[in-house]
Amino acid sequence: MSLASIIRRRLIFLVFVVFGVSVVTFAISHLIPGDPARMMAGERATEETVTHIRKELGLDRPVPEQYVTYIGKLLHGDFGISIRTQRPVFGDLRLFFPATIELAFYALLLAVVFGIPLGVLSAVARDRTIDQITRSISVLGISMPAFWLGLLLIFFFYGRLGLLPGSGRIDPTVAAPAHITGLFTFDALLTGNLPALGSALVHLVLPAATLGFIHLGIVTRQVRSAMLDALQDDYIRTARASGLTRTRVVFDHALRNALIPSVTVIGLAFGDLLYGAVITETVFAWPGMGNYVVQSITSLDFPAIMGFTVVASTAYVVLNMLVDLVYMALDPQIRDVG
Amino acid sequence: MKKLLLTFLAAGTIGLVAGAIAPARATEPDTLVIGKSGDPDNLDPAVTVTNNSWTASYPCYERLVRFKVVDGRGTTEVEGDVATSWTASADAKVWTFTLGSGHTFSDGTPVNAVAVKTSFERVIAAKKGPADLFDEVDHIDAPDDHTVVFTLKDAFAAFLSTLVDDGASIVNPAAVKQHEANGDLGQGWLADHSAGSGPYQVESWEKSSQIVLTPNPHWPGKLAFKKVEIRIIKEASARRLQLEKGDLDIIEDVPVDQLKALTTAKGVKVVDEPSFFVTYLYLNNMHPPLDNVKVRQAISWAVDYQGIIDGILLGQGTQMKGDVPVGLWGHDDNAMQFHYDPAKAKALLAEAGVKNIRLGYLYAKTDPNWESVGLVLQQNLAAVSITLDMQENAYPTMRQRLNKGDFDIGAGNWTPDYADPSMFMNFWFDSGLKGLPGDRAFYSNPKVDELIRAAKIAPTQADRLKLYGEAQKITVAEAPYVLLFQRNYQFAIRDNVKGYVYNPMQLQIFNLTDMSKN
Repeated sequence: MSLASIIRRRLIFLVFVVFGVSVVTFAISHLIPGDPARMMAGERATEETVTHIRKELGLDRPVPEQYVTYIGKLLHGDFGISIRTQRPVFGDLRLFFPATIELAFYALLLAVVFGIPLGVLSAVARDRTIDQITRSISVLGISMPAFWLGLLLIFFFYGRLGLLPGSGRIDPTVAAPAHITGLFTFDALLTGNLPALGSALVHLVLPAATLGFIHLGIVTRQVRSAMLDALQDDYIRTARASGLTRTRVVFDHALRNALIPSVTVIGLAFGDLLYGAVITETVFAWPGMGNYVVQSITSLDFPAIMGFTVVASTAYVVLNMLVDLVYMALDPQIRDVG
Repeated sequence: MKKLLLTFLAAGTIGLVAGAIAPARATEPDTLVIGKSGDPDNLDPAVTVTNNSWTASYPCYERLVRFKVVDGRGTTEVEGDVATSWTASADAKVWTFTLGSGHTFSDGTPVNAVAVKTSFERVIAAKKGPADLFDEVDHIDAPDDHTVVFTLKDAFAAFLSTLVDDGASIVNPAAVKQHEANGDLGQGWLADHSAGSGPYQVESWEKSSQIVLTPNPHWPGKLAFKKVEIRIIKEASARRLQLEKGDLDIIEDVPVDQLKALTTAKGVKVVDEPSFFVTYLYLNNMHPPLDNVKVRQAISWAVDYQGIIDGILLGQGTQMKGDVPVGLWGHDDNAMQFHYDPAKAKALLAEAGVKNIRLGYLYAKTDPNWESVGLVLQQNLAAVSITLDMQENAYPTMRQRLNKGDFDIGAGNWTPDYADPSMFMNFWFDSGLKGLPGDRAFYSNPKVDELIRAAKIAPTQADRLKLYGEAQKITVAEAPYVLLFQRNYQFAIRDNVKGYVYNPMQLQIFNLTDMSKN
């Protein structure tokens, strides 16, 4: 199957996924007992005020009609107005989503950069001391609560050593880079704003390490397990028998094959990071999607919930598509068979 | 068990390194940095109803009146702010205010009577939460630049007190007109900007990160702070650490267990004052057997008030005495007070002749104390043979059930919007306000209705005090609510920050014009 047809198929799939997710989320958010109009008006508001707000938000109309209106506006790029903040949802998403993506990206980068070599090392040195240490690190990463690790890092690197900032995305005295992608490090690079780049990178170290450490364990275990399988395959024995060096056998043959299943895990890990960053964002006062969505849910702010769901499900489908493309690049069989 | 282990781990971590914190670095002397736990929702005075938003919005606007400070203490009495004087008609329906000069919006436009009139009309037309404060306003006139006349539908003795609220802020009509989009009265723009004549203006707001206030260039007085930064740091331990290191000057929402540690921290003071923040329980007076006054009284006698205050609040509160809290006029220090007396509770239940009572306790995790209070209550009621089922709901669902009267016992908090006993007596007991608006116990007593409605419009404070006193005798005795405690208001502040004046009506609002750092 050609690259173009895969992308085309995925894009059609995307439309169905987003439509399905939007219907289900809209229905659920309207079926939950609770009155968004009263949440917005304040708890002591009179019935008259609540009725007025309900009408203004269109909540007095039948749910299917509300959905059609919502989708109609969404197709024109209008995500509606947040019930809680009274600001356009699109503006809020544009602010918070890139912050979470940036954090997840660097967390995954750390997990991959350290996780793959550790996994390889662990497999090659199976059952030796280095393997035991690596396995302990990965178990620690998987089982350590994010808030505890985050607090530990803050107290040590910010509180005790004073080396790194304890919260926020950028130093309050440094102007944020002009908004292009919303990812501070990328925008700072694109605009040549070096002070902002430095500050943004320094602010990323602790939250990305916290979030990344959890996934480091997952990546390491996955790569180790895939490498162990690969190293026992016949073609590896043949490669060794043909006189190839150990390094070439491990990196050119075993690792290339071991990476294929690992790509799925890494791709899904990025999705998890987008959803699972809430605690890390809370500990490090990182202005991302996590807190925004949690607050939206507790205030029944369904335009914000819907906005997040639509964007997140789109991101998930696109991510899966990218994983498929990486698969194709790594494995010619998939490319040829399609 | 897992939760306990996690708490232990967190506490251990804090303990491990708290003793070895690097030396404090002071923030700039002309900058005040406040650490908050949550982002404000909205800064428009016509929309927001939360004190958390008022930290940023209140200093950006002026109002007709403000709270008086006497001997360095904030009071609930008002004095002129933009208004220099006022008069009320004999029937308290027409209020005429004379405005002073020298008040200027941040764009240089002077504050005049039209600006006052349009500000109130805008709040009323927006019909959001703050509009309810001015329900009684029939119309407003501005006969000249310095005179504003409010005509009320009915006499409302507490009208003056409502004018200190954030919703009574005077907004620049030119800015509203300039930024109005699709007839929104400028709400879209004012959600994250300011257009007032207060000492500060909103310079920037990076959502969920920080708000920066800078001085109104036309403010006539001298301001010690050239910048006020409000940083959003949700995690309490991180806020505390940044305060101790000197990166923050003030932190809010300090958990009670951390306050104790902060009282001995170097360079930090803890502000700990009684507030009007009340925690109480709604007994649904329409649900049998809670429609029986003896059963309600028995529940009130069965509660271990001091145990709750000592065990849950670590002593940072006071048991309520009467319906109006201590510190607010109308409080009756001689009011009857229930105390922990299980024997009396049992005797009353026997008199009521009701057996095998099983009740539900409705609460949410919004206030972490509600669950703990419920567990103590469950134990207290079990001792008098009442079974209590804990019913945890999501907050929106809980509110819906409270509003519909679909509960037996509900947990709740209450703070007054304006400094007047009507905020307690009229809201809590007027049978016309059943549900969330106020009468959350679904209590109904025509005699009480008559007394509190008369008190609301009585011309003198003495008359009102007498009527409220009479009503309070009935309401306390009939126990529609379990009056638990008045909470203390606490936050931590660096000891080089001077001039803060506490006012129980202005939680999370700082008197920035009088504050400074050395």
